[in-house]
Amino acid sequence: MSFSFKNSYKILLLFILFMVVIGIWNPNALLDGLQRGSLYAVIALPLALVLGILGVLNLAHGDFLTVGLYIIYMLNTRFDMDPLVSIVPTVIILAIMGAVIYLLTIKNVIDEGHLSQLLITFGISLILIEGINIIWTSMPRNVYTNYAYAAKEVAGFRFGTYELLYILIAVGVLVGLQLFLKKTRLGQATFAVGQNPKGAKIVGINVNYVYLFVFTLAVAILGVVAGFMLPRTSIFPAVGSPFSLKSFALAAMAGMGNLNGILFAGITLGIGEAAINSIPNYGGWSDIVFFGVLIIVILARSYRGAK
Amino acid sequence: MLIISLVLVVTFMFSLGVLAQDDPIKIGAVNPLGDITGNQSSKAMELAVKEINDNGGLLGRKVELIVVDSEFKPEKGAAAIDKLATVDEVDFFVGGMSSGVHQAQIPSLKKYQKITIWAGAASYLAEQAVGPDADWYFHLHPWDYQQGESYGVGWTQIAEKNENVEIGRIFLAYEEGGFGTASFESYEEYVALAENGEGPYAGIIEEFAGASFKSAALGGGEYRAMLRQAKEYDPDLFIWAGYAADAIPMLAQSREVGFEPPLYVGAPPGWPADFEANPLSDKVVLYGMWAPALREVSDIADHFWTEYIKLHKERPATYFAPLGYTNIMFLAEGIKQAGTLEKDVLIEALRNVKYDSPLGTTLEISPSNVISNQGFTEQKILQYQDGKQEVIWPFDVSTAEIEYPFSW
Repeated sequence: MSFSFKNSYKILLLFILFMVVIGIWNPNALLDGLQRGSLYAVIALPLALVLGILGVLNLAHGDFLTVGLYIIYMLNTRFDMDPLVSIVPTVIILAIMGAVIYLLTIKNVIDEGHLSQLLITFGISLILIEGINIIWTSMPRNVYTNYAYAAKEVAGFRFGTYELLYILIAVGVLVGLQLFLKKTRLGQATFAVGQNPKGAKIVGINVNYVYLFVFTLAVAILGVVAGFMLPRTSIFPAVGSPFSLKSFALAAMAGMGNLNGILFAGITLGIGEAAINSIPNYGGWSDIVFFGVLIIVILARSYRGAK
Repeated sequence: MLIISLVLVVTFMFSLGVLAQDDPIKIGAVNPLGDITGNQSSKAMELAVKEINDNGGLLGRKVELIVVDSEFKPEKGAAAIDKLATVDEVDFFVGGMSSGVHQAQIPSLKKYQKITIWAGAASYLAEQAVGPDADWYFHLHPWDYQQGESYGVGWTQIAEKNENVEIGRIFLAYEEGGFGTASFESYEEYVALAENGEGPYAGIIEEFAGASFKSAALGGGEYRAMLRQAKEYDPDLFIWAGYAADAIPMLAQSREVGFEPPLYVGAPPGWPADFEANPLSDKVVLYGMWAPALREVSDIADHFWTEYIKLHKERPATYFAPLGYTNIMFLAEGIKQAGTLEKDVLIEALRNVKYDSPLGTTLEISPSNVISNQGFTEQKILQYQDGKQEVIWPFDVSTAEIEYPFSW
């Protein structure tokens, strides 16, 4: 679960060069991309954690984010609670929900192979979407906060300030996860389970407990993301679904279990997307570029691996 | 013995006739019930049926409404028509919304050829699929090209009335899917016509530009790059064609990048919940068929508003609510005038109905480009003012003057 700067200095240099070039060409694209890419990364990190430790691709990942957004929306409309304050109760509610869903469903297919895991998480996704649809209907909803759209102008360069928080959260979650994995006993046990679950079991690690903890933690992190996202986004039952695919794409681009790589992948793709959006009449190409870059990186890595 | 048998047969047949007279008139509706448009349209239809039955029904018979959920899915919408025709044996079809769903339903509607009063579906593709020969088909919502024409007429009249309002430079932000792209193509056609001094925008459009964006409804939601392009273009009128999920983030990101066009127009099919309560909504112009404020200038709009709230304990929030009510009342008016359910007589009667609708416009049937029974032909231009939707055009039902220019 690491990304070695020493071994990947060429990639790092390329990454910096890419940012400098985009920054000179269009500073807005660089900043928009950094912010958007950090959001992609922080959403992808918990999915990568579950994928790396449990080996389960959670297709309901984005829908847990949707549930978090609706919980915060409800806390705001019913109790007038600020979305950022709502993060605390939302994380607790999502953690309980994640644990219950894990125990009732995913635990039973953890040794059943990928098809069963995909089907069961797909089923969870459908239930969550339809459940939200029944309770809140498909009508989009918003929470407006003045601070979420604040802007600054420095030497004629105008930029939004709120989404800079996404960069901090992405780095914060990444550092938090790395510290947890390296500096705590449970984290080291988690790392061991991710490397070799059978071996970990033999040395006395409670693998089932680790799985439960990791899945619960992953869903709870989405509560934090939801709290920061809600003031900037419309919510509707399928709002989180596209993030499942993008998160998987980032995990694939970074390489299995590479948490640091997810941040770099997210920012690279975010800046690429913003750069394409900045070219008049080429906005529609951003998805093609997003997945095109992804395919090139995966192919390049396979080629390098084969050598 | 023979006489007794004859008496029994006559009595039996007579009783069948009486029973037939006592059977309710069945109206089959197809709406997407999970969406507010279909949900409120169905509730408004229930209100209309209740009022009809409270007043003695139609032709001495009660009216029964059977609603089937299309779930906004073409295959479900088509299956709903088959179910209503074969299982429920309805007399009429009403509904519904979404051009995509409706196009899938048209083959089934053609198969049964029952009198159909369709409230929604605006795409000209649906109109072409119905074709010119379906005399049993009535369509209430203006077709997309009729809507575009009415906006052109509306803006021309607004600019004539308000000398400070300018519409010369238009920038269209359109979502990159079918809906937005079709809007962009329509504007390109209007501009081409206007350059030759023709069409609804002749004399008012001078320049036109556009840029696409990925709608939040389809996984997008990042508009800043597109908005900076619009800001650089400096339009008189900025219009975006996307979905309800884009409304607030689009406005908020406009403010963030410092984009403040004199006219900020939104043209989504629906708006998010409580949009008018959002401080960003002030002075935003929108297109629609109805606004709650119409009750100030129309008795039937006021009646509909009051009774709907009384029955359903919620406010109508989409024009599909009064349109659903109109859907049933228009059919009822036709049946009353025809005095029979006989198809040809009823079609003729419906063509002559003039129904004063809660949409603030009298519903009359006239031919459109393809079909012979088209209802409404224009949309209204509305504006959010101090948390309220006001009608600013057509002037005969306007509830407020336009507030201009738009500002944060």
